[in-house]
Amino acid sequence: MSTPEQLAIVQSKFTTGETVVIAMEAKLCQGWLKSTRLIAVVNKGSTSALVVLITSRNPPQVYSDLTIEKILPIDQDFQCNIGTDEEQQDVTDVFLNVTCRKTRTIFEMRPGIAATNLVSAIFQAIDVYQKNKNPTTDFLWIQKLTGSVRSLDISGDQEETISDPIVDLESQDINISRRNIATGKTPIAPRESVVRYQMACKEDDYTYTKNFRLFIGTWNVNGQPPIGITLQKWLSCDEEPPDIYAIGFQELDLSKEAFLFNDTPREEEWRHIVSRSLHPDANYEQIALVRLVGMMLIVFTQTAHLPHIKNVCVDTVGTGIMGKMGNKGGVAVSCTIHNTSVCFINAHLAAHSEEYERRNQDFADICARLHFSTYAPSKGFKDHDQIYWLGDLNYRITEMDAFRAKQFLAGGNLLPVLKLDQLEQQRKLGKVFQGFHEADITFKPTYKYDPGTDNWDSSEKGRAPAWCDRVLWKGEAINSIAYRSHPELKISDHKPVSSIFDSQVRVIDVAKYRKIHEDLMKKLDKLENEFLPQVTVDTTEVIFETLRFDEPCSKELIVANTGQVPVEFEFIKKLDDASYCKDWLSITPYTDFIEPGQKCDIKLEVRVDKRSAWKLNSGADQLYDILVLHLVNGKDIFITVTGTYERSCFGCSMEALIHIPVPIREVPAGRIMELENSKNLSQDPYSVPKEIWLLVDRLYRHGIKTPGLFETQGLHSEVLAIRDWLDVGSQDAMPGSVHSVAEALLLLLDSTPEPLIPYNLHSQCLSATASYLQCKQIVMQLPEIRRTVFLYICAFLQELLNHTQDNGLDAKTLASLFGSFFLRDLPRARDDRIHRSRTIQPTFDRKKAAFVYHFLINDQSDFIGR
Amino acid sequence: MASRGTAQRPNGTQGKICQFKLVLLGESAVGKSSLVLRFVKGQFHEYQESTIGAAFLTQTVCLEETTVKFEIWDTAGQERYHSLAPMYYRGAQAAIVVYDITNQDTFTRATTWVKELQRQASPSIVIALAGNKADLGNKRVVEYEEAQAYAEENGLLFMETSAKTAMNVNDIFLAIAKKLPKNEQTGNAGTSGQGRRLVESEGQKPTSGNCCK
Ligand SMILES: Nc1nc2c(ncn2[C@@H]2O[C@H](COP(=O)(O)OP(=O)(O)O)[C@@H](O)[C@H]2O)c(=O)[nH]1
Ligand SMILES: [Mg+2]
Repeated sequence: MSTPEQLAIVQSKFTTGETVVIAMEAKLCQGWLKSTRLIAVVNKGSTSALVVLITSRNPPQVYSDLTIEKILPIDQDFQCNIGTDEEQQDVTDVFLNVTCRKTRTIFEMRPGIAATNLVSAIFQAIDVYQKNKNPTTDFLWIQKLTGSVRSLDISGDQEETISDPIVDLESQDINISRRNIATGKTPIAPRESVVRYQMACKEDDYTYTKNFRLFIGTWNVNGQPPIGITLQKWLSCDEEPPDIYAIGFQELDLSKEAFLFNDTPREEEWRHIVSRSLHPDANYEQIALVRLVGMMLIVFTQTAHLPHIKNVCVDTVGTGIMGKMGNKGGVAVSCTIHNTSVCFINAHLAAHSEEYERRNQDFADICARLHFSTYAPSKGFKDHDQIYWLGDLNYRITEMDAFRAKQFLAGGNLLPVLKLDQLEQQRKLGKVFQGFHEADITFKPTYKYDPGTDNWDSSEKGRAPAWCDRVLWKGEAINSIAYRSHPELKISDHKPVSSIFDSQVRVIDVAKYRKIHEDLMKKLDKLENEFLPQVTVDTTEVIFETLRFDEPCSKELIVANTGQVPVEFEFIKKLDDASYCKDWLSITPYTDFIEPGQKCDIKLEVRVDKRSAWKLNSGADQLYDILVLHLVNGKDIFITVTGTYERSCFGCSMEALIHIPVPIREVPAGRIMELENSKNLSQDPYSVPKEIWLLVDRLYRHGIKTPGLFETQGLHSEVLAIRDWLDVGSQDAMPGSVHSVAEALLLLLDSTPEPLIPYNLHSQCLSATASYLQCKQIVMQLPEIRRTVFLYICAFLQELLNHTQDNGLDAKTLASLFGSFFLRDLPRARDDRIHRSRTIQPTFDRKKAAFVYHFLINDQSDFIGR
Repeated sequence: MASRGTAQRPNGTQGKICQFKLVLLGESAVGKSSLVLRFVKGQFHEYQESTIGAAFLTQTVCLEETTVKFEIWDTAGQERYHSLAPMYYRGAQAAIVVYDITNQDTFTRATTWVKELQRQASPSIVIALAGNKADLGNKRVVEYEEAQAYAEENGLLFMETSAKTAMNVNDIFLAIAKKLPKNEQTGNAGTSGQGRRLVESEGQKPTSGNCCK
C-alpha cells in the first residue's frame, strides 16, 4: 500500500481537506479469526482519525473496491500500544492494540518500514491532539463519513457497540463477526497463537503480584584483592534480608593476564567473600555468575524462591578496544521470577572526563548486542518486564572545577554539583538510558578517593569527584527504597553503592490459570464446532429403477446449507479410485459453494454407453456406487447410487453373442456373465452374431439402393426401438428407417469391449496398408469369429458398392467409416487430453481407411471359400 | 517494554497444543456418535440419527503437561461403508473401537476392526476399546473380563462406557490423550487444520519438529 497510486485510491474515499497520511494492509484479529483490512491515518486540520477499510480486492484498484468500516477519532479516548508476538519463532508480527470508546481492536501487521511509519503517524497524531486538545466539534467531519454520531459520543451508549463488528476481547465471550465468517474469506489462525494472545490479554485474571525485595550493589574495586575485609557493611546493612541480590564489580583484576585471557583468581576470591557477607537472616543460593575480564555480576536468591526462578541466562558485551575487548562493556543476567522477566546488567562504560559521548555509545551498544538465547526466539535486553542497570558508568562532572565541587560537597551541598552530572544531563537530553529511572542521589560522589581513606584523590592528576557508580531501573511496579554509598569500604579508589527495591513480581495462580485456559479451550472448541459447515441432503440413497443401454436417466440430489457458514462441497475420490464416481455416472456440479440458508441442486445422470455396457454385462462392474460428498473443512456424507440395468446385445462381445441363440433378455444375466468370461460355451455357436446378421440383412433387403446410406444420421428413438427389438425379440418387422438400422449396426460394432480387429494387431494393420497381400495375411491371423464378421461386413459393403448409381456411395467413404470402427482407438480416460495430437490423428485415420479399402475393392472369393 | 504474557507459565501450560486425529469405528448402533456427542457437547439423544458418512468435531483436553486437541471423525458403521473406512483411519493417531456390551456380534466385529487397524493403520496408532451401553448391565452378554483380557492381549486401552450416563466417556478420551506421544512428529498440529482430510496428512511433513516442549 505504499505506492502513490494506491494511496490515491484510499484518498478518493475522502474529500478535500481530509488527507490520507498513510495507509497499509493489516489483519484485523477477532478471536481466532484474522481478516484483511486497510488501515489509514487521515487528518483534517489538526484532528486525525484511524480509519479501517474493507477492500474487496487486494490491493484495491478502484474507488469502489473500498468500504469504510470504522473511523476511530484520535482524541482523549484513543489509546494505542504496540506488542510483538515473541514466542512465534518465524514471524514476529507487530500487534497494534487500539482502544477507543471502550472497544479494543487488535491489528496484526507485517513488521517493516510501513508498519513503523504507520505507528509513528498514529503517535504523532496523538501528540498533536495532546497539544491542541481539540473540542469534540472539530471531529464532526468523522460524523459525516460514518453517518453516525456513535464514534463521537464519549459518554458511550454501550448498547450500540454490541452490534459493532469489532471484537471485544475482554468480554466474557469471544464474539466473532458473523458477517466476516459469512464472506467465507476469513482464514483461521493457528489456535496456538490465538490462545497465547488471549491468555496474555487475561493475564490479570490469573496472576497476582508479590513483593520482592531486591538488593542491587556495584563496586569498582580497582584491582584490589579482598584481603582482610568483610562486606557486611555493604551487603547486609539493612534489617530485612533481601529476596534477591545482584552484585556487580568492575576492575576486579587489572592484570594483563586477566585482560588477555579473561582468567583470574579474583573471581573466586570475591565470589567467596560476597557469599559469606550476605544477610545472615536468610539462606541464599547463587543462581548466576557472569564475568568478562574485570566486570563480574553475581545473582543470589533466597533458597525458598529457587523453584520459581527459571530461564536463567547470561550474556556479555565487550565495548573496549575495537569494540570487542572486555576491559569495558557489560555483563548481564536474565531470568524469570515467577511470571516476570528480569534483567540485571553490570556495565563499565568508557572512562575519561570528556568522553560522555563514548559512554552513551557504549550504552547503546550493550543494549543492542545483549542476547539471551535460552528463550526462543532469543530475548534482547528490552524484552524484559524489569531491568536493573548498575555499574561504573563513568559519567563525570566537567563544568565545575574540582576545587569548587569539593567545597560544595564538604558543606554537604550536593545539588549544585549534581546538576552538572553528565549522566543527569545526557539523560535529560534523551541521549542515554531512555526510559530508565534513578533514585535521588543523597550520597557524596563515590570517586575518586585515596585508597584506604575517605580523602579525595591527592595524586598529581587530582581527579575531580564524580558519581561514577550508579544504579538505574526500568519497568513497572518498581519502588526504590534506598540508594546510598558505603564509604566504610576503603580498599578501592571507588566507594561501593547499593540500592534497595521493592518490586512487584507477577505470580501465576496455577489453578486459576488452568481454569481460564480450559474455559478458553472450551470456547474455542464450541466456536469451531459451531462454525463447521453443515448441510442436509434430501436423500442418501439414489435409486434408478431400470436403465437401458444408451438411454440416459437423471435424478436430483438437493444439498441444503443448514449451518452458519458458507459451504464448499466437493465429491471426492475414494482411496485408490481414479475418479470420484463410476464412468456411467456424471455429477453436475460436482463442486460448488452454497451460502447459508441456500440450496444446491445436483444432477446425477446415469448413462450406460458403449464404454460401460460391457463391464456391466460381464459383471466387471455393477450399477452401484458410493459417492463421498465432502464439505471442505467439515464432514463427509455418503450417497449410495444404485440402479437395475436391462441387459442388451449392445455392449456384448461378438464371442458371447454367437452363443446366444435367443433374444438376450430371455437369457439370465448370470449366463451372459459366464459367456463373457468364456465359461460353459455352447456346442454350436453361430458363425456371425444373429444381431449383426439381422441388421445387415435388413439393410441388404431395404436399404441397398437408399441414397446416403451410412451417411445420414438415424433417429435416436428409432435406434432405441431397434435395440429393444433385438433384445426382446418380436414377430414384427424391425422398426425404424434404414438409416437408423445402419446406425444401430455401427453402434453394435462400437460397443463391443474390443474393436473387431483386436488392439494388438492395430499397428501391424496400419503399417501393412501399402500391400493388399500383407493386409490379407493379417486378416488371416484374426480369431475365426472376428474374421468371419469382418469378411461378412466387407462382402456386404462390396454389395452396396455394386449399387453406387443408386445409393451414391463410394469405396473411400465406406472404407474410412468402417476403418474407424474396425480399428477403433483405445478409449480415452475421462480427462485425458493428451492423446494423439491433432496433426497425427488424420494420418492414422487415413491408414485405417486404406486398410479396409483393400477389402472393398478386391475380390475376396478366395477368402470366403475357406 | 516486553509485551505481557510472554514470560514463563506454569508447567504444561506453555501454550503448545498437540493436535491428533481420532477415529471411531465399530458396528452401527453401538453408540459411536453418542459417545462423541457426550464427550463434545455433554448431551445424549435416545434417538440418535444414524451416521451416513463421516462426521467431524473438535474437542480439546487439557492435561497436566500439555493440551491435546482431538479432531474426531465419527464413521458410519454399516457394513456397506466398510470399504470407505480406511479413508478415515489412515493417518489417524488414535482410534476408539466401540462395541455394545449387550450384543455379542458387535464385540466380534470390534475384534475384526482391531485386526484391520493393526494391519492397515499407522503402526503407532493408539487404539482404545470401548464397551458401550454399560448402563444396560442387566442385558449384558459380553463379560467385562473377556473384553479386558482381549484388550490386554492386544495392547489396547479398555473401558466400559455409557454415553447415556456419561460413565467413563471423558476418561477414555483422557486416557488416549495421555497415551499419545506428545513430542513426536505424529502429534504435530501444524499440518492439519480442522477438518483437513485424514488421508492427506499421510506423508506430509510437519512444519516444525516439536509439538510440545
Ligand atoms: N442405553 C444406552 N443407549 C445408548 C448408549 N449409547 C448409545 N445408545 C443408543 O444407541 C442407539 C445408537 O447410537 P448411535 O450413537 O447412533 O450409534 P452409532 O451408530 O454407533 O453411532 C441410539 O438410540 C442411542 O440412543 C448407551 O450408552 N446406553
Ligand atoms: Mg453414528
